[in-house]
Amino acid sequence: MQWSTIFKKELTEHWRSFKWIWVPIVFIMFAIMDPLTMYYFPIIMDSVGNVPEGATLDFPTPSVAEAMIMSFSQLGLLGVLIAVVVSMGLVSKEVKSGVYELVLSKPVSFTNYITAKYVAALMLIAFSLAVSLLVGWYYVNILFGTISLVQITVSILFFIVYFMMILGIVMLFNSFLKSQGLVAFLSIITVVILNVISSIYSHVITWSPTLISDYINMYFYSGQLETEIWFSTVAAVAITVMCLVIATITLKNRAID
Amino acid sequence: MDATLIQLLLPLGVLQLILIVIALIDLRKIDETNGPKWMWVLIIIFFNFIGPIIYFIIGRRT
Repeated sequence: MQWSTIFKKELTEHWRSFKWIWVPIVFIMFAIMDPLTMYYFPIIMDSVGNVPEGATLDFPTPSVAEAMIMSFSQLGLLGVLIAVVVSMGLVSKEVKSGVYELVLSKPVSFTNYITAKYVAALMLIAFSLAVSLLVGWYYVNILFGTISLVQITVSILFFIVYFMMILGIVMLFNSFLKSQGLVAFLSIITVVILNVISSIYSHVITWSPTLISDYINMYFYSGQLETEIWFSTVAAVAITVMCLVIATITLKNRAID
Repeated sequence: MDATLIQLLLPLGVLQLILIVIALIDLRKIDETNGPKWMWVLIIIFFNFIGPIIYFIIGRRT
């Protein structure tokens, strides 16, 4: 009962600040920008590029897989940034403004408070990712060639798992920091460090959750799902649960102080 | 410019327009922003694509 109350309050708050409109739109733009510019690159170069007379420029047209991967990698960079920024104030803002005390003066458990907020944010991001990548897929299908619906759906689901972990990390920093900027900064640093470490040791820690996007890329090239992607998924879920549990405990301890 | 190019770019234009419109609606409804409101109107309208996003991220004060 109280979980759904907080959950609904979160959803309406996201709705009031237009997050349900602007986040999907921004994600859609990230997803279609690269395939579009790659496809029309020769035309763009012709009109603005000052190509010397007689020079012929041969740009290889990217393959279907490459074009689709562009959408994913763009969202993997800028999409992560937006996801972090959107969720950086979920708890920290309420602690700072005092709304938090107001909420917790009612009989609300910390677990419900954290998970309801987390699920609401995850729904927003998952929806945005699904919509934007489907639009990206539509564009790639028109411009470059076909990718099956099954393949794109599976890839989107795994990509959502990756974002699930990122939101978990953001929630963790939310629970003990008051400054939204610091939450965003530390979350992004953590994600970057995780990415760097797992790409350096990618042959050792094959289960690293940040390798999910790499496995998705391979899936587009070969059409075959790597077995390791399941380990990465399990690792991502484990890290998410751990982050949420620690976040709950931290909030509890802070309330006692 | 062929017809397909326009067909492909039209959705982008429409999305950008929606983004600008909802940013302006939000700006009208909100009590306080970081920095003067007229500045945000200019940013939202003249900085294509980036303007509304920047407004939603750092302009709103709640």
